[in-house]
Amino acid sequence: MPTLNQYLVLSATLFAIGTAGVFIRRNLITILLSIEIMLNAVNLTFVAFGRALGAVDGQILVFFVITVAAAEAAVGLAIVIGLFRHSESLNPDSFASLKW
Amino acid sequence: MLSSFNAIVPMACVTAAGIAAMTAEAFREPGEEMPIGPLGVIGLVGAAVASGLLWNAKATSFDVVVADNFGLFVTWVLIIVGLLSLAISAPTVERERLPRGEYYALMLFAVAGMMLMATASDLLVIFLALEVLSLAVYVLTGIRRDLPAATEAAFKYFLLGAFSSAFFLYGIAFTYGVTGSTRLDRIGRVIAAQAMAPTPVQFLALGLLLVGFAFKVSAVPFHMWTPDAYQGAPPAVTGFMSTGVKAAAFAAFVRVFLAAFEPLRSDWAPVIWVVAAATMILGTVVGVAQSNIKRMLAYSSIAHGGYLLLALVSANDVAKGAVLFYLLTYAITNLGAFGIIAMLDNADRPNDRVSDYAGLWSDHPTLAALMTIFLLSLGGFPPMAGFIAKWYVFSAAMKAGYYWLAIVGVLTSVISVFFYLRIIVMMYMTASSEMPVRFPEVPRIAGAALVVSAILVFYLGILPARVLAWAAASISTIF
Repeated sequence: MPTLNQYLVLSATLFAIGTAGVFIRRNLITILLSIEIMLNAVNLTFVAFGRALGAVDGQILVFFVITVAAAEAAVGLAIVIGLFRHSESLNPDSFASLKW
Repeated sequence: MLSSFNAIVPMACVTAAGIAAMTAEAFREPGEEMPIGPLGVIGLVGAAVASGLLWNAKATSFDVVVADNFGLFVTWVLIIVGLLSLAISAPTVERERLPRGEYYALMLFAVAGMMLMATASDLLVIFLALEVLSLAVYVLTGIRRDLPAATEAAFKYFLLGAFSSAFFLYGIAFTYGVTGSTRLDRIGRVIAAQAMAPTPVQFLALGLLLVGFAFKVSAVPFHMWTPDAYQGAPPAVTGFMSTGVKAAAFAAFVRVFLAAFEPLRSDWAPVIWVVAAATMILGTVVGVAQSNIKRMLAYSSIAHGGYLLLALVSANDVAKGAVLFYLLTYAITNLGAFGIIAMLDNADRPNDRVSDYAGLWSDHPTLAALMTIFLLSLGGFPPMAGFIAKWYVFSAAMKAGYYWLAIVGVLTSVISVFFYLRIIVMMYMTASSEMPVRFPEVPRIAGAALVVSAILVFYLGILPARVLAWAAASISTIF
């Protein structure tokens, strides 16, 4: 039986992979996927804590997060399609009309 | 029990108006005119009446939404933001032929999400409210789909917003793990019981929540999205999100940090001290170098976030009232300024460079005079509202013993006067060099909204006592 700590280490690793993906990958779709990995790492944390605390809320919270992640993915992909129509590119470096 | 729905009546009114706007658009015959904007006004007025009836009642719904006076004060600020935004959006929607039903429905859904965020007393509900408002605002940012810059702004805003929500959510997960609950009152009790020996996981949770909030209130070093999103969005939407999102996020920020995590204040206060100082300095210094007025006001809004953080870190009674008063004055003033920018924006020219404002006084004296009022208030000149708001924030910081932070605040607000005055000098003393920019007619509704905002700026600046007393009375209800 894996312990709480093992679950937490696994989810922290997934979260780190997601964070790294957002910074390193140069494709908009992959960046969106990386954010999904981060959200699912959080889900794993919720479930692990819920199980360790012997409470069911941890599992229930996950349903809300899944719903939010789906809504976020819908809006995000719509914006990516809008960007692709303008520039025929999925490389984030090619969007620099707004400069700081 | 039916009475357990009381606390969510204001947001239900706004949501109903949003759904009605969406339905009206769906069943509209092509070419048929429908009063969709007024529908939103009805919903917001209904919400204002409902929150008036809830004042002092401390209604709770399902233990996760608390309509205490603090939440209701912010709800009123958000209703004012909603009404002014609807009014200044009308000409933009008309001119750019934006899908009217979608635009107003998204704006109303965002307002409902902001109200929920201001009254939620459960971390999960705060997260859901944050997502409701953010998703609506991402779409509003990119609603001019034909402009590459608008889509790019929407994407940058979306990407960093979703990224920061993940951090915020991770913070909620650790808070849940440490305290066994997501309700703020239970979290507060557990944290207070363990305040003598806080565990590292508590600090981890606190840090992650702080990162999430810092993104939403665009505090340094998490401010990178702000100038891009503010510049790319239509000016009416920029005005809406720079005030509404900030008010809702600060309301939740105050609730989580000054109520639930209050026992750990000696640990988080130094961090917010540094963030507040960096935010004030960077917002002001980089703002001076901008040549685009929307970008400049974006940096100004970052700096104003810094002043609010300064009040948050002071955390005494004066500061708590000052946060609410500052949110109100900032909302009215900033929406007024972006309202003027929205009036001057026309289909073939955005007119958003500082040099475009040259000679505005001779072309359109009323707009120039109103813009002057709003900019002077943002800069903190008496007798405008911005002066009183800043004065209260700084005096709260002095009282709490944060002298250095107050000095940084005063210095940066003196520097910030430079870039507000630059526009005023442009408007009055520089002749328009290029061919005269043709300014569109100012529609009556938007003009009325701008005049009302200007009157409110003077009212809050000259007779602030009553509103300050409300603000001070309402802040005591969350502790």
